[in-house]
Amino acid sequence: MDRQEAIEFLMDHYENPRNYGALDSADVSVSAGNPGCADVITMHARFAEDGTLEAVNWEGEGCTISRAAASYVTEIAQGMTADEIEQMSFEDLIEQLGRELVMTRPTCATLALGTLKRGVHDFTMHKHASE
Amino acid sequence: MSEPETETPGMNAASGYANPDVLVETDWVAERLNDPSIRLIEADEDILLYEVGHIAGAVKLDWHVDVQDKVTRDFVSQRDFEQLMSRWGITNDTTIVFYGDKNNWYAAYSFWLFTMYGHNKLKIMNGGRAKWEAEKRPFTKHVPHYEPTTYRAQPANETIRTFRDEVLAGLRNPGRRLIDVRSPQEYTGELIHMVNYPQEGAQRGGHIPGAKNIPWATAANPDGTFKSAEELRRIYSSNDVTPDKEVIAYCRIGERSAHTWFVLTYLLGYPRVRNYDGSWTEWGNVVRAPIEKP
Repeated sequence: MDRQEAIEFLMDHYENPRNYGALDSADVSVSAGNPGCADVITMHARFAEDGTLEAVNWEGEGCTISRAAASYVTEIAQGMTADEIEQMSFEDLIEQLGRELVMTRPTCATLALGTLKRGVHDFTMHKHASE
Repeated sequence: MSEPETETPGMNAASGYANPDVLVETDWVAERLNDPSIRLIEADEDILLYEVGHIAGAVKLDWHVDVQDKVTRDFVSQRDFEQLMSRWGITNDTTIVFYGDKNNWYAAYSFWLFTMYGHNKLKIMNGGRAKWEAEKRPFTKHVPHYEPTTYRAQPANETIRTFRDEVLAGLRNPGRRLIDVRSPQEYTGELIHMVNYPQEGAQRGGHIPGAKNIPWATAANPDGTFKSAEELRRIYSSNDVTPDKEVIAYCRIGERSAHTWFVLTYLLGYPRVRNYDGSWTEWGNVVRAPIEKP
């Protein structure tokens, strides 16, 4: 993906955000932010019976890259298991978003994924503890 | 320095600024959107904001592509700068008006760079993008295309730029003042990079010996406009940064410190201000560069 393609890709997610909004019966709802640039993202997720994510939503405010990345993360995370979410690499995400562009703001680009990972991890730990 | 011209509405001699003509207000810009002698340039820290929407007729200055040398840590050559101006339909007589996000942070950086290459009709739209948006003025997604022009730049005038060895040589100069415009946490060494910019860190934290910490955004009001001349004078003189001194400002890559350079040079009229754009990403990584911590 060249620079212009990356711009168009990110702008599409920024202007047409996927899966934006609250989520009913969410198993995961966790917020995190980037101090200094006013990004605050909340990731919501709900697991299906088979242990895969049947819904992933997001809410929040922030810079263009953080919002576009959040939209993209909700798309790719659907259908993944908790293990797969925890294995997702920040480097791979940066590559998929357009490294040349988002490397100027890596913490913004990875905020949503990092937040989702934390929420999924916490949910999984609590689930195991209660079983 | 920018050529003085007829006072602009809302920014006159009563402002107390040394060069009031370098700041224009949003209504001044709005009244001149179709003036072919003016070119708006948007320079943002948030890299996609131009695509989200921009002022009609504005071109995008993409800092990571348009003005950086692709190999060496430096700015584009004189020739490349000329080609950039040509592409944007700018002539040597064009009045360039910069604006951007975050207190006109990158707009001021652009002003500094363009000054180096000799363009002397430069202005900044006070309050930048935020003020334009707050006033519910229109944005457009239409990207303008301009007929290429002939543009002649000067070789880079580096009297407003300084380099590591010069900074090092003058550390004991009583007539010099160093301003570290980073956050207090970066100045003390608690952080070795600006929050959200881990890729622009250094091996060591702290500040250049003798530097005063005057964060760059201190010069801006909450709405992104520049503070009054009186307030600015108080901020800098209370830190013993006075017009009789030689002043060097730095941050991590020179972009925040260019904002301070602009304030001191153009708003307060300090005659000897330079931007050390190597800044902390250079100094904090140099073997044996002296560092001070509280």
